[in-house]
Amino acid sequence: MTNRTTYATSIYWMITIMAFCATLAMLVFYTPVEATMGPVQKIFYIHLPVALCTFVAAFVVFIASIGYLWQRMMWWDDLAAAAGKVTVLFCGVLLATGIIWGRSAWGQWWTWSPRLTFSLILFLLYVVYLMIRPAIEAPQRRAVVSAVYGLAAFLDVPLVYLSVRLMPDIHPTSIALAPEMKITLLTWFVPVAMLMAGLIHARFRLNRATRSAEEQRRSEPRRVSNLAPNMGASL
Amino acid sequence: MIQIARHVVLLAAKDLRIEARGRQTVGLVIVLGILIIVVLGMGLGAGQPMSGFGASSILWVAYLFGGVLCFEKTMSVERHDDALSGLLLAPIDRSAIYASKLLTNLILMFSLALVVTPVAIILFRFDLSAHPLGFAFVMGAGMVGFAAVGTLFAAAVSSTRLQGGLLALLVFPLCLPVVVTSTQLMRMLFAEGGSLASGGVATLIAFDLMYLVASWLVFEQVLEP
Amino acid sequence: MTLALSSIEVPVASCVCATAAVSVRGLGKTIDDRDILDDLTFEVPEGSFVALLGANGAGKSSLLKILATLIPPSRGELQLFGAAVRSDATALRSRIGLIGHAPMLYRDLSALENLILFGRLYGVADPRQRAEQLLDYVELSHRASDSIKTFSRGMVQRAAIARALMHDPDLLLADEPFSGLDAPSANALERLLKRLHDEGRTIILANHDLSQSLAIAQRAIVLRRGRLVMDAPVGDLTQAEILAEVSAT
Repeated sequence: MTNRTTYATSIYWMITIMAFCATLAMLVFYTPVEATMGPVQKIFYIHLPVALCTFVAAFVVFIASIGYLWQRMMWWDDLAAAAGKVTVLFCGVLLATGIIWGRSAWGQWWTWSPRLTFSLILFLLYVVYLMIRPAIEAPQRRAVVSAVYGLAAFLDVPLVYLSVRLMPDIHPTSIALAPEMKITLLTWFVPVAMLMAGLIHARFRLNRATRSAEEQRRSEPRRVSNLAPNMGASL
Repeated sequence: MIQIARHVVLLAAKDLRIEARGRQTVGLVIVLGILIIVVLGMGLGAGQPMSGFGASSILWVAYLFGGVLCFEKTMSVERHDDALSGLLLAPIDRSAIYASKLLTNLILMFSLALVVTPVAIILFRFDLSAHPLGFAFVMGAGMVGFAAVGTLFAAAVSSTRLQGGLLALLVFPLCLPVVVTSTQLMRMLFAEGGSLASGGVATLIAFDLMYLVASWLVFEQVLEP
Repeated sequence: MTLALSSIEVPVASCVCATAAVSVRGLGKTIDDRDILDDLTFEVPEGSFVALLGANGAGKSSLLKILATLIPPSRGELQLFGAAVRSDATALRSRIGLIGHAPMLYRDLSALENLILFGRLYGVADPRQRAEQLLDYVELSHRASDSIKTFSRGMVQRAAIARALMHDPDLLLADEPFSGLDAPSANALERLLKRLHDEGRTIILANHDLSQSLAIAQRAIVLRRGRLVMDAPVGDLTQAEILAEVSAT
């Protein structure tokens, strides 16, 4: 990394942290407490932006997968792998916040409601994406299989959504948002989106660097260990 | 188009002939399916007759595991002695290879269903009398989508070390919409006395069409030896 | 044994070869970010017999797979019989035969069933008759109905050769076809390749046995680490010179 890139990255992360601090402060001091659910309802302001960013990250996996299949250049695979990790992370947070919400709202850690089931299936879809990668040794084969799966997983998302809608929703939720709540919700999109983009970028750069180091190691001639000093003369 | 259809039938006939000689795949898959039904039966220990919802859930477990084994075996035929390269060298549309594998897999899966479903009906006392055709349609449509996904990924992983284990890992989550939709449709049909005219059928058909088209387009990409 | 392997006998002397059978320009192949082949440029006129030489890992098999349209090149131009492979691959395949490391046969089917299957895929007019003729030629008629998995290595290789010839290809690519063959089978294969060449086919043979290759080929192309390092008529070079190029690191 050049000095300028390191500097820019540092500035980016500082701004992201400050944005989180600001929105957290907003959440605690500015946003009113919802009457029915109490303070736990504030998880919603994290849950929705995280949900949207999960889809964006999954979409990046989708685009990168198509890019790899089309051009067969490894940096598309590096990008897909990076976005895949971020998708799983964000989906994990989505699932966790959904479970906490459910516990608070309905007194149960888990119900087979459409929303929770959707989050769970989405999480499983992309966890599998991460698991297949180390299972295939040859880089090109790994990239092809991952790309086909990454493409299929994103196409699956609307179908998962439609299928879970058939499930009985015994706990329908609809929240009326006061103006301050709407502002808080919109503001939370900023740090969450910055975190997503920053993580994908950082992970992508790491993948590229790892691949370059691996290529360099493979192309270096093997060094023979030092022979005893007088052996050269006898050869 | 007729030429492609001819090649599809030729290649599927070749696969079925090989299967008829060895009888390995269909035998293995049926026995596995029955074993799964029996294990579930012992585990669930149902004393009451089970409705369509329970029936479809239990059958899907048997179909999923049996199906994955089917897909892996039909593709492994091509990897022995690099027979697949022989097909790729021929002046045929490569999508015919996908279509023939899909056709073979569907025939084997329907053979599995023909044996395992009556066994499950007897062991679990499934009561499908309300909508037997609806049950058959939903499970059949689900199987088509499952086979479309499975055929594609069987080709993708057949040259890797893990093969079968990896195939199950890839196919199961992608096919969850099919499992969820068909079990929910069964619930609506049998438990709630509804009809098949619902959005669920559209979801099943959308799944089938989407994966048939996507697999058709992408299959050649995964075939490169 | 005599067999008219093509319906038209083409005397070598009157062959006028206006189109190159193979025309390669700047060809490269990258796998896992490694250049397996790089910047290859050469032409093979119709009716030539080329020995493709090089140490293990030089890229011979990869080049033959690309010429057979089994795998696409990563860059560069490839034309076969004047047609670009990029746009006409499916049609061109009917003119190419490949004898590879693996036999490319279905072990659970008989030799006859395998040949008839491939004959139908290639659109051969009477695949059964042609299959029987070829099995007779490679001396496998007595085992025509036995499944390939019961064959010895040499018999499998002969069946594979029959498969490659089912559709009477104009361009025959052979990747180490002699490996695993006993001396009589190897001699028979050598005679077959010479005969096929005499009948006007273009042959590109990858073979690690230098003296054997140079005895039957007209031209030598040497690859080293994916690059073309020598391309000359066999008569212009001594075996020692070619061996030096193949062995150089």
